Amino acid sequence: MTDKLLDIFLAEAQDLIVEIEKALLLLEQDERDQHAISAVFRAMHTLKGSSGMFGFESVSAITHHLENIYQDIRDGAAEMTAPVLEVTFKTLDHLRALMSDPHLADSSNRENHATLLTAILDHQQKKDSAQPLTKNSMSAPGGHDEHTYYVYLLPHDHVIKNGTNVLYLVDDLLALGQGLSFPFFHKLPELHALAPDASHMGFEVILCTAKPEQDIQEVFLFVDTDCDITIARLAEGNKIAALHKKQSNQTHRSSPIGIEGFRSLLAGNKRERVAEKVKSVSGNGYANSVRVSGERLDDLMNLVSELVTTQARLSLFSNHNASPELAIISEHIEKITRRLRDNAFTMSLVPLENLVVRFQRLVNDLSKELNKEIVFKTEGTDTEIDKSIIEKLTDPLLHLLRNSIDHGIETPAERIAKGKPAKGTVHVRSHYSGAHVVIEIGDDGAGLDLERIREKAVAKGLIDGRTHLEDAELVQLIFLPGLSTAEKITGVSGRGVGMDVVKRNISDIRGEIDVVTKKDKGTTFIITLPLTLSILDGLLVKIGDTDFILPLTAVAKCYEVETAQLESTYNQWMNFDGKRIPFFHLRNDFGITDHKPQHSQVITVTHNGAPVGLAFDKIEGEYQAVLKPLGEFYRGQHEFSGATILGNGHVALVLDPHKLITKLNTLHKN
Amino acid sequence: MSKTIAIIDDSESIRELVGLTLENAGYKVEMGLDGRDALRLFDNREVHLVITDLNMPHLDGIALIKEIRKMEAYSSVPILILTTESQAAKKEEAKAAGATGWIVKPFVAEKLLAVVQKVIR
Repeated sequence: MTDKLLDIFLAEAQDLIVEIEKALLLLEQDERDQHAISAVFRAMHTLKGSSGMFGFESVSAITHHLENIYQDIRDGAAEMTAPVLEVTFKTLDHLRALMSDPHLADSSNRENHATLLTAILDHQQKKDSAQPLTKNSMSAPGGHDEHTYYVYLLPHDHVIKNGTNVLYLVDDLLALGQGLSFPFFHKLPELHALAPDASHMGFEVILCTAKPEQDIQEVFLFVDTDCDITIARLAEGNKIAALHKKQSNQTHRSSPIGIEGFRSLLAGNKRERVAEKVKSVSGNGYANSVRVSGERLDDLMNLVSELVTTQARLSLFSNHNASPELAIISEHIEKITRRLRDNAFTMSLVPLENLVVRFQRLVNDLSKELNKEIVFKTEGTDTEIDKSIIEKLTDPLLHLLRNSIDHGIETPAERIAKGKPAKGTVHVRSHYSGAHVVIEIGDDGAGLDLERIREKAVAKGLIDGRTHLEDAELVQLIFLPGLSTAEKITGVSGRGVGMDVVKRNISDIRGEIDVVTKKDKGTTFIITLPLTLSILDGLLVKIGDTDFILPLTAVAKCYEVETAQLESTYNQWMNFDGKRIPFFHLRNDFGITDHKPQHSQVITVTHNGAPVGLAFDKIEGEYQAVLKPLGEFYRGQHEFSGATILGNGHVALVLDPHKLITKLNTLHKN
Repeated sequence: MSKTIAIIDDSESIRELVGLTLENAGYKVEMGLDGRDALRLFDNREVHLVITDLNMPHLDGIALIKEIRKMEAYSSVPILILTTESQAAKKEEAKAAGATGWIVKPFVAEKLLAVVQKVIR
């Protein structure tokens, strides 16, 4: 609080006291002077409001009660009497004293304050109805569990005229946690009846939050009488992922789904899962299909791939032929192909849950064998992944789980000695993250022994004994071939043939693995996988006559620069949007010399959290690439994740920007 | 572009306190001394939010809100009223007149900004 503001307040308070005094003098003459009564009331009210704001609680307390008395008198609920007048006069003197002693440090002030308050309260006929300040904005201490809520919001027509922006309400709701909003339009009138300043839309929001329900109600604080609002708990835990893919089928609805509708959507999900699970146990290996055999599905996928390629060719052809009719047909086919592609892909998706049954058995068997008590927790196992990815994922995941149980979780005795519960926990969690699926396998065990990893690595000659490595770097050593820190080799795991193979298997399916570990807290492996292997939304770019595809998910921004400028920087840094960004002039790195353009395109990608530029000659546009493997001879070229055949029959190489940047970095360093 | 907020209160200290808080948060502030004085602010200039006291001489808050709502240019501008705990009934009256929401006195800066954020962004 600045002194200037405080001075303003004190001066204003003095003025108000004088104003009250004047009005009181008028009232002494005529007790029914309405004008004077209103003046006293208003001044008391203002004084109460500002004194509260400036920390003069004693002033606001006493004026609060006096204000109530004068309000009653003004409204005719009470009579103006001589004693009231007298106590008000006394209060004014007291208020003046309070201005210099707001916290009642002086004992005579304190005494006076108490006497006056009692006197005023005696006069107050109607008991003070003011509620004590409710601290409802404070959330209850301790962690709440996450719940999934159903919120129904139908604003009344006039709500916009009250200055309310309905979309803010939806934003505020979604800001409370993770959520999906489902708009509905059944109130939307015919065009001629449409009022531009009336609200015709409603929203259903499925919200997962750990915050108390009160916080949800708080969002609607100002509109609870202007909207139909229903808030109900839909389910325990987070059900957003389960509903997520349902949303795509539900975008064009006119009527609300209703809480029962969502309940049955969730229940429906479960039924599907059960059906798939039954099939997966009885069928051969994985649930390739519900009604179709896996082979046929693969055939379908191949045909869709071919169709996508051919359609790309048609688009290209139509772009080069100025025929409006052809353009229309081509666009239509493109739309249909895209939908067919997406549809076909969802058919080949299977939930992770299919694997979890096997995990559960492994945990049971191993914990018995090793005399460890283990709780197995799963979360988000309804996340769906391409079946071909799941097939290749089984071994790595089982291996990680085995490691967690064998090396991670300590024996019950050790755990108790460390002050942890005797029962260890192993968890498998999964969720979507953009075009990726993230799977976490972790335990609350001993954590990786970094010192031992270091010793082993030095002993094996993997690192130099003198080099200092950060913990994060040490942890990465476990992915090197030939490193096992197990004290004794058990029958379960630990010959050190594991982690490097796990890492290789995962990068074979364009995935990445990372590990987080903390001593005595546990270890978690985080695997990030693409949703699908065979089709990629990319940006078609050119260097000279050579075509490349850059995955669209990697692209952050594109800039046009003069090629000469790229060549003239000596340290490969350039300014983009006022930031200095390192870049690679790929023309040089790939050794392409033909058709040097006047202008080049720099595409920035986010690499290890920071932007890195890649310079190409030309950006052709977006392109759906059907990925084909590169073949045996090129297997070592990790910077290219595959190739694709363009509409004109040319082959384009698909770049893996991260591996490319990593490789170029090491090349440039040497 | 920063948003303009009109603050109308007959108490200078409240006006300055609210004004300073909002200016520090990057808003542009216009002030009205009471309802009647405030009317001059609504001359087709851009006002993104109105914060008004209720108890004011000349033209009180409720009447001011009704006047603002009559003007086409401001028929749906958000209006927040400054009120106290003891005035629950006033909230309803103000809402019926066209107010968007309320700020309960006394308040701290964060609370004020949070409520402002509820209605303009």
